[in-house]
Formats: sequence, structure tokens, C-alpha cells
Amino acid sequence: MPEIFIDGQAIQAEPDQTVLQAALANGIFIPYFCWHPHLSVHGNCRICVVEVEAKGGSWLDISCNMPVTEGMHVLTDSEEVRAQRKAILQFVTLNHPVDCGICDKAGECTLQDYHFAYNGSPSISRDAKVHATKFFDLSKRIVLDNERCILCSRCVRFTREISKSHALGIENRADHSLVRPAEDRRFDDDPYSDNVIDICPVGALLSKQFLYKARVWYLEPTPSVCPGCERGCAVQIWHRRPEWRLNALDPRQNAEIARVTPLENPAVNGPWICNKGRDLARIFERARAEQPMLKGKPVELAAAIDAARRLIDEARHAVALVSNWGSNEELAAFKQALAGRFAASFVKRDRQPEPGERIEDDFLIRADKNPNTAGARALFDDAPAALPDGADLVLVWGEGCDFGRLPRGAKTVFLGSYLAPENGHADVFIPVSIQTERRGSYTNFAGTVSPFEPCFAKKPSVADAETLFAALAQRERATA
Amino acid sequence: MRHLIPEFEKMKARYPAGFESSLVLPCLRRIQDDRGFVADSDIDGLVAYLGVPRVQVEEVLSFYTQLRRKPIGRWHVQTCRNVSCSMRGAERLIDHLRKKLGVAPGETTADGRFTLSTVECLGSCGTAPVVMLNDAYHENMSAEKVDALLGGLE
Amino acid sequence: MGGRKLLMTFPVTATSHTLADYRARGGYETLAKVLREKKPEDVTKEVAASGLQGRGGAAFPVGRKWQVVHLDDGQPHYLCANADEGEPGTFKDRWILENAPHLLLESMLISSYALQVRNAFVYIRGEFDLPYRRLAAAVEEAYEAGYFGTDILGSPFACDIVVYRGAGSYVCGEASALITSIEGKRGYPRNRPPRLTVKGLYQKPTVINNVESLSNVTGIVRDGAEAFKKVGTPKAPGTRLFSVSGHINKPGVYEVEGGYPFADFLRNELGGMLGGRKLKAVIPGGISAKVLTAAEIEPLPLDQPVFEAAGSTLGSGGMIVIAEGTCMVRLLQVMLRFYHHESCGQCTPCREGMGWLHRVIDRIVAGEGRLEDIETMHHVSRWNDGTTICGMGDAAGYATVAILEKFRDEFEYWIANKRSKCNGVLEVGNA
Ligand SMILES: Cc1cc2nc3c(=O)[nH]c(=O)nc-3n(C[C@H](O)[C@H](O)[C@H](O)COP(=O)(O)O)c2cc1C
Ligand code: SF4
Ligand code: SF4
Ligand code: SF4
Ligand code: FES
Ligand code: FES
Repeated sequence: MPEIFIDGQAIQAEPDQTVLQAALANGIFIPYFCWHPHLSVHGNCRICVVEVEAKGGSWLDISCNMPVTEGMHVLTDSEEVRAQRKAILQFVTLNHPVDCGICDKAGECTLQDYHFAYNGSPSISRDAKVHATKFFDLSKRIVLDNERCILCSRCVRFTREISKSHALGIENRADHSLVRPAEDRRFDDDPYSDNVIDICPVGALLSKQFLYKARVWYLEPTPSVCPGCERGCAVQIWHRRPEWRLNALDPRQNAEIARVTPLENPAVNGPWICNKGRDLARIFERARAEQPMLKGKPVELAAAIDAARRLIDEARHAVALVSNWGSNEELAAFKQALAGRFAASFVKRDRQPEPGERIEDDFLIRADKNPNTAGARALFDDAPAALPDGADLVLVWGEGCDFGRLPRGAKTVFLGSYLAPENGHADVFIPVSIQTERRGSYTNFAGTVSPFEPCFAKKPSVADAETLFAALAQRERATA
Repeated sequence: MRHLIPEFEKMKARYPAGFESSLVLPCLRRIQDDRGFVADSDIDGLVAYLGVPRVQVEEVLSFYTQLRRKPIGRWHVQTCRNVSCSMRGAERLIDHLRKKLGVAPGETTADGRFTLSTVECLGSCGTAPVVMLNDAYHENMSAEKVDALLGGLE
Repeated sequence: MGGRKLLMTFPVTATSHTLADYRARGGYETLAKVLREKKPEDVTKEVAASGLQGRGGAAFPVGRKWQVVHLDDGQPHYLCANADEGEPGTFKDRWILENAPHLLLESMLISSYALQVRNAFVYIRGEFDLPYRRLAAAVEEAYEAGYFGTDILGSPFACDIVVYRGAGSYVCGEASALITSIEGKRGYPRNRPPRLTVKGLYQKPTVINNVESLSNVTGIVRDGAEAFKKVGTPKAPGTRLFSVSGHINKPGVYEVEGGYPFADFLRNELGGMLGGRKLKAVIPGGISAKVLTAAEIEPLPLDQPVFEAAGSTLGSGGMIVIAEGTCMVRLLQVMLRFYHHESCGQCTPCREGMGWLHRVIDRIVAGEGRLEDIETMHHVSRWNDGTTICGMGDAAGYATVAILEKFRDEFEYWIANKRSKCNGVLEVGNA
């Protein structure tokens, strides 16, 4: 372990670390634009400059490409270093439009932060800025603002080293250089493309979904798990901060997913997610079922629960189809409270791949498009092709059940979250909450358990499955 | 481009194994010699032949000034305007060519005969000013010499 | 006449570049002897002992570079001759390529043997036509004669060579950009570390030397390091090819022994100034070398350490001689247009700085300069000093600062009077 000295502080570095890595690992911050912990070192932005002190004198060099060597002395905040950082920021902002007022990245932009922290002085240039394309259509999902781009090449390296789509490149040279997509538009088909939006240090790569939707400081993230496949990537679901609730404007926005970004989890997804994970609003913001019903007749939630309990009590051969979108906690509650009351309980696969969706690859995407198959399977058997004919009650929890194939004459209790024709046909329909309304955890295909937190409050007419199961399990109504 | 593949195969023989990517530049040069420019279909063909990412070929085409993706005039008149040539009359020569051909650098005459370009040092500064006509250097040029040179061309 | 010669040792005729003529001059005998009698490391030792310095611009000792390569590391090694010759004012490697291509090839074979290189490359700038054809023809001759391929001259040594043509990019003459270019990519230079002798072409140890540097190897190995060191000066042994252009009577390529006085060179070889003008300044080693005023250069001998002490360099040997009456503002404008055009655009200081400098000087020339522009240009240049990936941003900065400092009055004059102090003239003497 080489010992090095950063700003006079002795640090035990790993032999294969760079000075930048050793500094960051020891709580010493050195600014960086182009360096990224999961990408190769390109060393083009030059902001990570440090001063190396040696007997013969000292010199400046970039720290992201500087291997640590035993006994070296490095300064991260000398006068020379500060001056050079300012110089780099002069260059970076020379042709940068500084249109933060209308930039989605404002508030989480590295350039803004560094300019504030290290420069603070206006440009010395008196010449007109070099203009470049704004709103370049980079892909179906992303627009590119070449004026804001600082050519750090992170996005390009991402497509070469991580998603392997080789979909982006840099054309031309000097200050005419432009990030451009391969002309065959293969970036449209890169299912990981949106990660470049996150790793872009500035507001050059913008999500079309999120474009001008919100200032990020009005939003807050809630840690969650992508239910898009059995990888179960850790994500942040961004939504309006309670203290910035909208009252006058469309208040529905208060309970909407503004965007989804990855939450780094080395055991599951590293710092990346696929585009499906970005589109959770498409899953969670479908029209919700909020009305409990008996054969399509609206009733109070309590009445629906009573009716369901009665059916379970009366059944001689009840079968349950449990949801692999249920959390581990819900599944355990079902097992504990209700499993004994059912002749058999099977795991249902709630969702299948959608047309055009990538089925699986050797990076993140898995073929099973449900988040908790592993958690459910640990407690219940896989559903058979056909349910036993003798079943007189089927409890269906979650989506993906073909009601036409249930045993004829069997009663149905359906716990669902979204509007669907089946809801009205069930003997009892009880609306249940969705992932964004409750706390819980999923177990992914590799056995890693990941927790999620609620983002929004559920409606009072909607039940939480975990407590619902306990209520359904009560045999005699104490108050009857 | 397909008809050039036998030539490419011969070229490949002197490269070590695993150097397919290296062939991008020589193949593009050869394609351009053949067609006068590199067409989109050539890019597709080359990508399929070499197995390199398409974006690499596109980047290369945009980076090197000699490569082009559009046809130009039959005669490419490239006039050096770097320091040594300018010190020996290149700027006057370029003005002369502008007037003579009636086009600005970067443009092609209406009859498609000449494309005028300016270039940076051609490595021939001792015989400045230098004009490159298609592939050949013409050195120690003057207005009179350039008139004689271009006069005889179709 | 400029001292002893090591390279331009024969009269140039219609056939002097051919294999037959080269053989008649003793060509490929040194290769045969090396393959028969010497171990690879002996060759490297000889080259190191000669003190030969790189002729591509940086004057780095050739032997020191070679000694980084471990012969027994079990990896392929590559050798590239740098024939990109892009530094404005430089056209000396072209002389070798056109007139002595076999000298380069024999030298590369000997060097490849020393470095245990199986595949060698010559990276030649894309515009070169005759030099390329001469070199390519020489390669074919050499293959036919059995100097390349396997079992070279009956020895177990095998070596193939590829002449790789660029396609119009100055920065591809920079060693790491050259490698990226041979990998078939846009010519982006690479950060060091790793050194190219550790991880170069396709991440394998690679030695890159200038054409002239390599061409000296045959002579050094043939006559011995001691003989080489007797030519030139102790700190910069050997001769140098100078390509001289500008306002002189006899521009061209000259081989000059180290230490030869500049004043004699100007008077005797270069035929004096065009039209009998006075000397104003000299850019001694390609436009990236700092300009020297007449007074500064006139007393100097042509010796690398001396030029370094004078704050400049002999660089690539591309000497541009500038007569009194030349407008240095316009000269800098031409240079900055070039750097802006050629910056690869990869690293921030050079990508933004070259365009910045170019726009400022264009504005000054357009009569819209402000006095503080001179300061801005100083800043932009200095902010490139030692902060870029490759030497281009640095060098452009040095060159700019030198002209600004030494001819500041011309810039001030243009800014104040909205016109040139010298009528904006670059072409003088023969008009
Ligand atoms: C921007 C730039 C351009 C260069 N162009 C050339 C060139 O055209 N020819 C050359 O031999 N060296 C050139 N060099 C120097 C090379 O990087 C390298 O130092 C040289 O080829 C090494 O050979 P040598 O040690 O034999 O001189 C250039 C360097 C820079 C920074
Ligand atoms: S778009 Fe963003 S990530 Fe890509 S090069 Fe530009 S600044 Fe970097
Ligand atoms: S890989 Fe799977 S879990 Fe991860 S973001 Fe995509 S769909 Fe969601
Ligand atoms: S200094 Fe200029 S030419 Fe060199 S890598 Fe940086 S941008 Fe490219
Ligand atoms: S972070 Fe080191 S150069 Fe960009
Ligand atoms: S300046 Fe024109 S060839 Fe060098």
C-alpha cells in the first residue's frame, strides 16, 4: 500500500489507484468532469489538475490519470491549482450558453457547482460565442444541446464500454466538434440510452419525457426498486417535494412520478438502469381501480372485505393465485394469515414481455418481467397450467390472470390495482395499493433483497394487501 | 465498394492478425480514389466487411480533411496558405484563382470542372507557393504558371 | 559547406532512389552484418551510445526511448516511422522518402531487429504523393529482394512493413495520435502515462521515431557510435536536415553539421536574403518553435542546446526566414488559423483556446482590436502551457507568446491605427 501525501495529509492508497481515486476515497474532493468511476479514463476536461511537488520543483498535471507512487506529495488547493482551475472554467464557459434559467440540469449541474465553487468570475472573452445545434434529435428519447456540451465524452464512452451499442461519436474537430449519433440511428434501440442523461455533467443531454417538466429543486427522490424485471434495479423515484405542493396548478402533479433515475447498488445494477426503469410512470400511472365492488356493484371497502371473508369461510376447496409483484412482506403476511385456509396457493406471473421490449441480455435485462418471482417462489409453488376442477373459490391477487380459464362455477375474489373489465365480474373486487404507495422489499433473481419506500399516499378506499390479509383471516366476526 | 474487396484482402495480408480496425483509413482512401467520394452505401459495405462500428467510420470521415462524403469537381485545386507559402505569394495566388475560376474556396465551378480549396502546409514550403492538383504537387507556382496548368485541362 | 554529411552523401539522380543504386552505395550490407554478427541489445546499445536525438521536434534521445522496451516481455512490439511531416515549414523527411527510401527501410529493419519488432509501419502524411510512391516502390523492391518477410537474408529474423497513409490531420504527427490513427480511428492523442513504449499500438509496446532519426541508425551501426559522436557537438551529435523556406534566395533541404554558425548558413548555403533585404526574424524549428529576432539568432551556432538556451529550439528543423517588412500580426494570424483548424478538439484548453486566439487575432486584423486583447492572448496561451493532452496546445501557446512579446509594437500599432505597421504584408522581397 503506497503512502502518499495529499495536502500534507498521509493517505494509504491502493497500488492501482490514481491520485483522484485515492483522494476521493479519503474524503478529499478534487473536481472532475470527464472522469467517471465506471468508465475508462479519458482525461480531456483537465479540471482535475493537481500540483505534484518534487525535489526538482513542482508541476501541474491531471489527477485522474496520475498513478499513485510511494511517497508522492500532491497539492489539491495550491495557488497554482486554483488558478489553473479558473482557467479551465474560463475555457469551458467560453462557448457555453450559460442558459441555466431554461436548462433542466440547473440545480444538479456539475458546471454550475464548480463555477460557483472554484471560479466565480465572469468570462474575460469579449467575442461572440460559437453557436452549435440546440435541440438536436439524438434519439427517440433524448435531445442534445451541443452548445451546452463540454465534450467530456462520457456519453460516447458509455455507449462503447457499458451499453456496447457504439451508438454515439464525436464528429469534426477543434471547437466545431459535435457529439452525434451513428447515422443508422441505432441509439434509438439502445435500451440503456437514458443513462447518458444522468452521466452528462451538464444539461446537454435531456430526456424528452422530462423536458421542461420541473425544476429539480422542487423534486425529491424516494428510494425504490424497479419492478420491470427480476433484476430489480435500485432506483430513485422523483416526485414533487411536499413543501412545494402545487395547489393552484394541476394538483395531480403532486402525486406523479416526475422521473426515475438509478440508485447505485453494486450488488444489483451498479449505477445504471435500463430505459424501462425510467418509464415506471407507464406502469404505475395507468388508470387506477379505487372502488371496491361486489359483482360490479360499488360498496364500501369494509363491506367488500366482509364479503371476501365470508366466501373464504364458506369455501371447501379454495385456491389462491399470489402476485409476484407482491412485496416479501405482503407475501409473508399472506402465507402466515391465509395460506392455511387455501387448499393450494400458487405464484402467478403478473406481467409478460411487451411487444418490442428487449427480452434479456448479458447486462441487466432479465427475461422474467416481474420484480419478486424469487421472493414468491420461496414461499409458494409455481402455478400449474390449469387449476384443479374442484376449486370452488379462487383468490386472484394482481394482474395477469386469464379469468376465462378459472374452474367453472368457482367464486372469485380479486385484489387488483388498475381499471380492468375483470374487476366488475369478480364476486368481490378489492382495490389494493401499488408499490409507490407502500413500504416493502423484493428479492431479485440472485437472492438480493432490495427495499422500497412509499412516494405517495394511497386513497382511503384502497387496501394495503399486507393488512388486508390479516383482516381476511379473521374467522368469526367479533362484532357480528 | 464490393469490387474492391479483393484489393482489401491483399492489403490485409501485411497487417498482423486482429488489425481489422486499422484498415478503415486505407479502405476509405481507396474507395474515395475509386468513386471520388465516400457514399453512404460504401460506409455500410465497409462496416459489414471490417466488422467495425459504423460510428467509427463516420468519425473518421469527419476528422480527416482529405476524406469527403460528397462529390467535388473533376479537378481539385488545393492551394496552400500556411506561413511559408503566404510569404511567397500564396495569398495573391488564391485571389487570382478565385477570380479566374469565379468561385470561393470550398466551392465548385458551375460546369463541375474545378473545385477550389485552401489547405494548410503541404510539406513543400521550400518550393512555395504550392498548388495540389488532384494528387500531384505543383511547386513554385505563380499566376502565370497556374493559368498554364489549368488551361490545358478538360 | 555546412560541415560533414551523414545522409545527403550521394548526388541525386533519376535513379539514386532505387534499390540498385542504393546497393551500389553499400546498401543493406549493414543489415546483413547485423543479422550475422550482432545481438539485438548490441544494436540498441550502439544507438544509445551515439547520443542520437530525435529529429521530429522534441530532441529526445533515441536510445533512451528504445531501452524502455523489454525484449523478453513476450508481447509483440511495434515500430513506426513518423513520416507525417506536418509541422509547417518542415519538408526534410520528404527528401529522405523521395531520395533515400531504402536508407529508411534498412534503418527500420535494423531497428526492428534491435527492438524485436515483427511488424513495422511508416505513417506518411496523406497529401504526400511522390514520397509515397517512391517509398511504396522501395518497399516492393525490398520485399522482392528478401529484406522483408520471413527468414530475412537467411536469418531467423522476420519483419513485415506497412506504409500507412494519413488523410489530412496535423495532430496525427503527434506520436500517440499517430497510433490512434493507425488503429483506424480519428486521430486523438492519448494521455501519458502509459508511455507508448509500454502501451502503444493496440496497447502493445511501440517505438515511434521520426524518419530522419531512424535514417541515422544505419550509419551509426555501420560506423560505430564513436564515429557518429565525432560529428556535430557533444550534446547534440550528428548532423541535422534543415528545411529552409521564406524570404531567402535558395530555399531547400540542407544537411548541416551541428555547430555550424547560422550566419554562415544564411550567407553560404541559403544565398542570403531575398532581394538583399535585412533579416527580421527566424522561426527556427517549425512554426511551433519560438521566433527569434535577427539580433537573437545571428550570433548562434546551429546547435540544439544553444537554441534551447536562447529560449527556442531547432525542433523539426523547419526554418522559416523572415525579412524586414513582414507583418508579424498577419503572420501570427496565419499560424493561429492553422492551429484552430488542426486542434483535434479533445482537451479543453486547446479546443477552446485555439478558436479563441483565432477569433481575437481576426478581430484585431479587422480593425476591431482592443489593447486588452494582447493580454487575453497571453492568458489563453499560458493557460495551455503544460495543461493539454498533447504538445500542440502548449506549442501553439509558446509560439504565440514569443511573437506577441517580441513584436508587441506591431500589435499595438494595428490596434491603435486599425491598420498594419507593415502594410499587412507577408510576401516581401521579390515583389
Ligand atoms: C502536434 C504535434 C505534431 C507533431 N508532428 C510530427 C511530425 O509530423 N513528424 C514527426 O516526426 N514528429 C512529430 N511530432 C513529434 C512526435 O510526437 C514524436 O515526438 C516524434 O515523432 C518522435 O520521434 P523522434 O524522437 O525521433 O523525434 C509532433 C508532435 C506534436 C505535439
Ligand atoms: S453530451 Fe454531455 S456527456 Fe456527452 S460529451 Fe457532451 S457534456 Fe459530455
Ligand atoms: S434491467 Fe430490469 S430492473 Fe433494471 S431498470 Fe431495466 S427493467 Fe428495471
Ligand atoms: S492539445 Fe489540442 S491537439 Fe492535443 S489533444 Fe488537446 S485538443 Fe487535441
Ligand atoms: S477529470 Fe481528469 S481530465 Fe477530466
Ligand atoms: S507552407 Fe505551403 S507547403 Fe508548407
